[in-house]
Amino acid sequence: MTVLDNRVGTEAAEEPADPRDPLVRLGQLLDDGSMRPITPQDKSGAMAVSGRVEGVPVVAFCSDARVQGGAMGSEGCEHIVHAYDVAVRERVPIIGLWHSGGARLAEGVESLHAVGRVFAAMTKASGVVPQISVVVGAAAGGAAYGPALTDIVILSDNGRIFVTGPDVVRSVTGEDIDMASLGGPEPHSKRSGVVHVVTKTEADALLKARELACLLGHQGRVRGSVDEVDFSTLLPENPRRAYDVKPMVSGLLDEPGIELHPKWAPNIVTTLGRLGGRTVGVIANNPMRLGGCLDSASAEKAARFVRMCDAFGVPLIVLVDVPGYLPGVGQEHDGVVRRGAKLLHAFAEASVPRVTLVTRKAYGGAYIAMNSRALGATRVFAWPTAVVAVMGAVAAVRILKRRDLAAAPEEERHALEERLAEEHEKVAGGLERAVDLGVIDEVLDPAKTRGMIAKVIAQATPARGAHGNIPL
Amino acid sequence: MAEVRAEMVANVWKVLVANGDEVTDGDTLVILESMKMEIPVIAEDDGVVTIKVAEGDVVQEGDLIATID
Repeated sequence: MTVLDNRVGTEAAEEPADPRDPLVRLGQLLDDGSMRPITPQDKSGAMAVSGRVEGVPVVAFCSDARVQGGAMGSEGCEHIVHAYDVAVRERVPIIGLWHSGGARLAEGVESLHAVGRVFAAMTKASGVVPQISVVVGAAAGGAAYGPALTDIVILSDNGRIFVTGPDVVRSVTGEDIDMASLGGPEPHSKRSGVVHVVTKTEADALLKARELACLLGHQGRVRGSVDEVDFSTLLPENPRRAYDVKPMVSGLLDEPGIELHPKWAPNIVTTLGRLGGRTVGVIANNPMRLGGCLDSASAEKAARFVRMCDAFGVPLIVLVDVPGYLPGVGQEHDGVVRRGAKLLHAFAEASVPRVTLVTRKAYGGAYIAMNSRALGATRVFAWPTAVVAVMGAVAAVRILKRRDLAAAPEEERHALEERLAEEHEKVAGGLERAVDLGVIDEVLDPAKTRGMIAKVIAQATPARGAHGNIPL
Repeated sequence: MAEVRAEMVANVWKVLVANGDEVTDGDTLVILESMKMEIPVIAEDDGVVTIKVAEGDVVQEGDLIATID
């Protein structure tokens, strides 16, 4: 078998290598000297290799944008399908680098059939091996749906993803828009949710793909004891004050992880990283955005993340500080019931070890959705000041005791409300009650949080869900 | 000019800057109250701020809270 120099063309040839050469791109992705072709180098528009990232074996393929703009014909598609066969057989992550205008026009329906075979191979491999896509140039039509079927999509600054480009959009709808505004980093990171990670350069995009392939392909084990972090300083003193949850997520991990979808549905944070050396997925409400409420987009984002982690056996850590589902006509008509149900389904279905920590409050339906005991959490912890309830105590007594409150003289009403709220909290909202009921296992010292969570994950029976990862 | 808009329905609880103030990226302009939470509205640009709401107002999603020039 041939071993290719990863820096192909830079030293051997006199002319500088074409940066669109698949061997150049794949060479940058893989460990030096690890790349071996598994398909011929031809004019098919795609080629595939096996290799390593940080020593972890992977399969990778790349569009050849030098040939018909990387358009996908039957031969090139067969190369990609072959790459999938190898990755599934060897149970290794597969990374696709995309720069392609979609199906080859000249081949007609034959190329459509071939692209369909790629989609089928991707779907069959879904949940079996981690699939990472890096979009480094324009990826249109079939080349847009290819990445969209995979677990994680990375977009570099020059990457564009759309079903149809600006010209077709203009002729059909009359909308005048450039490629970047239609399918570049801005719309896909903030609005569409198509892309998980955006990077400033192609080299950064390949680096992120390497890190993610390592996290998913070599998960490791929790080793020895982990350092503690005193999280209590990260919560504001005022329980009503919003704060950014990201420092808390980073503090929980050995080093800052990779946040997926950081700008889309930012009211929930989904991050892959390591705790005690073992890959984990962290899901956290972010009170800084929308008060940390769950809404339709955030429920969907979290559900997909839960299902991805479950499919690959990545344990989950769920940090809960949620005031509820976001009320409003917009949300209801947006399908918050249907899309919110995805998160309930994802957690209830998950077989991977999953630890919940209520940091501050967990109210109502959102309490259930955030990996509650009832949905099968492995362990549920709470910090001492946490509140678990159907709603805030004051709001609850305003409903439950509205007659008593209405009957009280106006000047006494406020004091009565406070007293009733305090009583209500003892009966319905206090942590003690939640512990008595068994919906919270243990109240945890914030300064002993990392160790306890790491211990639970280390001791839990490893498991993974037997399902694919449909792009919810 | 950058526009700062409300992410959700909320009451304007506190306005922390005055018209014409110089603000920098990350400054808190206004604190909203919604879903029992105090939610700071943060400047995402540097410049001179014009506040378009008053304490006690109710803002709907998408309403203009401030502009930064």
